[in-house]
Order: sequence, then C-alpha cells, then structure tokens
Amino acid sequence: MDLKRAKIRDLRHALDNKEISAAELCGEYFKKIDEIDPKLLSYITVTKDEAMKAAEKAQKMIDEGKSTVLTGIPLAVKDNICIDGVRTTCASKMLENFVPPYNATVIDKLNEQGYVLLGRTSMDEFAMGGSTQTSAFAKTKNPYDLTCVPGGSSGGSAAAVSASLAPAALGSDTGGSIRQPSSFCGVTGIKPTYGRVSRYGLVAFASSLDQIGPICADARDCAIMLNAICGHDRRDATSAPVDVPDFTEKLGQPIKGLKIALPKEFYAQGVDDIVKTAVMNAAKELEKQGAVLVDCSIPGLKYAIPAYYLIACAEAASNLSRFDGIKYGFRGEGRTFEELIRDSRSRGFGEEVKRRILLGNYALSSGYYDAYYKKALALKQEIIKEYNEVFEQADVVLTPTAPTPAYKIGAQDNDPVKMYQADICTVTVNIAKLPGISTTCGYTAEGLPIGMSIIGKRFDEQTILQVADAFEQGFETIAPKL
Amino acid sequence: MAVDIDTIKHLCDLSKLDYDEEGMKKVMGEMSDIIDLMDEIKEFDLTYDDTKDGNEICFSDTREDVPEESYPTEKLLSNAENTDGCYVVPKVVE
Repeated sequence: MDLKRAKIRDLRHALDNKEISAAELCGEYFKKIDEIDPKLLSYITVTKDEAMKAAEKAQKMIDEGKSTVLTGIPLAVKDNICIDGVRTTCASKMLENFVPPYNATVIDKLNEQGYVLLGRTSMDEFAMGGSTQTSAFAKTKNPYDLTCVPGGSSGGSAAAVSASLAPAALGSDTGGSIRQPSSFCGVTGIKPTYGRVSRYGLVAFASSLDQIGPICADARDCAIMLNAICGHDRRDATSAPVDVPDFTEKLGQPIKGLKIALPKEFYAQGVDDIVKTAVMNAAKELEKQGAVLVDCSIPGLKYAIPAYYLIACAEAASNLSRFDGIKYGFRGEGRTFEELIRDSRSRGFGEEVKRRILLGNYALSSGYYDAYYKKALALKQEIIKEYNEVFEQADVVLTPTAPTPAYKIGAQDNDPVKMYQADICTVTVNIAKLPGISTTCGYTAEGLPIGMSIIGKRFDEQTILQVADAFEQGFETIAPKL
Repeated sequence: MAVDIDTIKHLCDLSKLDYDEEGMKKVMGEMSDIIDLMDEIKEFDLTYDDTKDGNEICFSDTREDVPEESYPTEKLLSNAENTDGCYVVPKVVE
C-alpha cells in the first residue's frame, strides 16, 4: 500500500475493505520508520511490540464489525503525553527513564477506538522551543531539507506526518507548538480552544496555555481526530463542560459570505515578504470562493512576546518545581535534601528549560511581580478584548503561522531572544484561548513549505476547519522527497 | 546588563539550580538580553483587573470530594530510586 501522505480516511477504507490488515498496516509504517527515521530523527521511542498487540485487538474489532473511525489506525504521540507503561521522556534527561503509571485522557479515548501506537515523537525539551533542537534525544530534521529545523515544539510529530511515518500524530501547543511545526513541515495542525481537550496526563508546561491537538495530512483528518479526543473530563478542572459538535459537519460547505479578518500587524515588518505574499495569495483565493476580506487591527501584538513569555515561564517555574529527583525523574547526588534537589535539577534539565525557570521566578519574585507578571496579565486581557472586537466584524482571522519558512539548524542557537521573537504569529491565540489551524499555502523557491493560520472564535473549531478545508481542496501540496 | 550576578544567584536559589562559574557568566548574559526583551512590556500603560480574568470560559464545577481508589502504590513507586515501599530522601535531621 502506498503510504505517501495517506489520509486516515484512506486507511479506514483499506482496513474496512480488507485490502490490508491492521498488523500489516503498522508493519508497513515500521518499515518506513526503519528506513527513513535514522536520518529524520522524528521518533524518540518506537513501540513495535505494543503496536502489534494493539493491531491484533483492532483487527478483532474490525472482523466483528465493531470498528470505529480510528480502529486499527496507526498514530504517533508526542513524548509529553502520558501513556501507561510506555516511556514518556518530554525529550529531557530529567524523564529519560520515566514510565507513567496511567494514561492521559486523550490516550484513553484513542484506546476506546482501538488505535495503534507507532511510537513517541520528539519535541523540544518540556515543549520549550520552536525547533526541536532542544530535545535531549532526537534533534529532528525537516523532511523537506535535512539541514533545516522542523519547527517545534511538536517537531517530531509534524516531521513524522510530513514524511509519512505516521498518518497523524498528537501534539501539544502552548504558544504555537502544533501550528508552527505544521507550517515548517507542510502539514495541517490544529490547536483547539483552551478547555476543548482534556489536559489530564499532558506533562504541564504552562497550564493556562497548554492544549493538546492533532497534526494530520489535511483539515479533514484533523476534524476526525478532534472528534475522537475532545470532550469534558472531570479529571481536568479546566476542561470545558460544553457540547462537542461533529467537527466534520461543516467540511465541504461553501464559504460564501464568510468574513475573514486580516490584522495589519501580522503583515508588518519582521515577517518575510515571501510569507506575506503566500498568505495574501491564499486570502485572494478564499475571496474568489466568496469570502469577504476585512481589514482589522490587533495593536496588542506589539507586546505579545514579553506577555507570553512572562506568563508561560511563570507557570513553567511553578509546574517544573515538581521535579526534585525524589518521586520520579533523574536523581542527582547530595548529602542533604537541598543538595540532592539542586543537583538533580541542574543536571536533569537542559539549558533552555533552566533559562525559562529562571525567567519565571524573576517575574514572580518580590519587587518584580507587579512590573512584569501583573503587566503581562493586563496585556492578556487587552489581547482578549481586541480579538473580541475583531470577531464582532469577522468570522475568522487569517495570519501567517510563522514569520519565516523553516530556517537552518543552528541559526538560532545561543540566541534565545531571536528564538522567542519567532513565536510572534502564534502566541496571541494561546493567550486569548482561541482555536487556530495551520495549513500549507505555498512553497519557497527552495521547496520549503509556508503556512497560514486561520483563527476562530472560542469553541468554533468547525468554521476554521471549514475554511482550511475550502482552501486545501484547491491547493496542491508537494510531499517531501526522502 | 539588565541583571547582575547577585540577582542571578538569588534566582538560582529560588529555582534550585546551580551553575559553575563559566555557566553563571553565560546565563547572566542571556538573562540580561531576555529581560531587556521583557522590559518592552513596561511601555504598555494598562493595569490588570483581576475581576475580569478567567470569566470568559465556563470551566467545570468542582467535583464532589469522594474518596476513590488511586493507582497502586507499587506502580507509583516504580519510577523512584531506592524505594522500600517509601520514597527515600537524604537524612533531613542532623
């Protein structure tokens, strides 16, 4: 079976029509992983034994006519989502040998459907980064150009889907970590509204911003994955008790009359011309389909990077204080309690994680709290207000996903400021708790993908999926040559 | 430099992190650049209103506090070193 950019729908059809068995299908993926992943490094752990057992179980469901949409579908999962009995490292030496004793809620939901786990994908350490180069175990490369980064932090998930080493994968997004790697790797990824998907079992980075979502070949597959993982969860107090619609419902419906806002600040200095041109061409294409383009402004974008990093790092400093080398994780040495903890943390965490903990504690410490952390919260309220105003006159917002296409590995090493500034197009979506989807809208002359983001009103994932799908139906994607 | 060595040492204490001399110098430079970037937010003239925060999404009500079976102790301890049914820590009382 040709797995090149195979969609979940294609695989479902093949499994249900007995063109291939669940075991054969995951065997095909493992063959590709063995062949391609040594140069791509998208996986940290490949779970062949577990997959074969799950495939057998799934095949039984299929044979008994009990299959659901994801029964027997092989998927990859970012290495910060807990799976009972499967090593979950967060790409950190701190959790190198950590085996969770429980499943994240999203994993329970996928298990109910009989999915097959292919393996755990690489990421920036503790999801802190936009290049997957802070991973302690697998510094993933871009499938379109192995000398470029795949983006991050869910770079392993995006690269694996892009290179057809998984038909879809789960990622997590705190400030763009699903959308930006999807953009760099030429695939489609959606960050759902905050509260839409349970965070239970997702190793916390910044609890008010983190959200799990899928990375797939296209928007239609994203809708299928969302149907499987969304819903209220009593084990996550921030999961929203709202109805979950069928996310495939609006796919294929015309977008005539739909209002698409273009905030001028996202098309200003700092964004590459080639990116602006590709996104504006996509806007014109959507206009041709009957959408109405609306000019608008999000002035708060100017301060979005400091606001995001102050909030995210303050929360990270608190969340990561649990890593003390005692209950789980890397255990250092020390004669006293204090020495043991300091040694465990100093040697267990990588440099970027340590910098963010320091920044978070700086923002929260006495004398700085009002000037930094509270100011960042004020800005968060302002950004929410500005998006609310935009959504009074528009249905969705269209922006570039990243200011540049994928850049060369090493280009941002030792320059955290440059790395942080590159998140400018994605962070406001997390700050305002909105859903956002990134899909490919063009390619550079060198063949690197360019992504655009469609941002929706809270809990209106259906409309952003509809718009992304409307664009994808008329756009020909180019798979990487590997 | 936006931060001096004493501030960095204080942050390391708060964060329970250690650096050697060279690492300390390096992180001080990096933190100074990062804090310069964060300082841009000081231009922003608005005050945080905590009555307006978190009211936009209706989250779950707090669930009833009913005791439930938890994960098996053995499984929870399997990620800790040197356990004998307990977490082992260095002596804390001199």
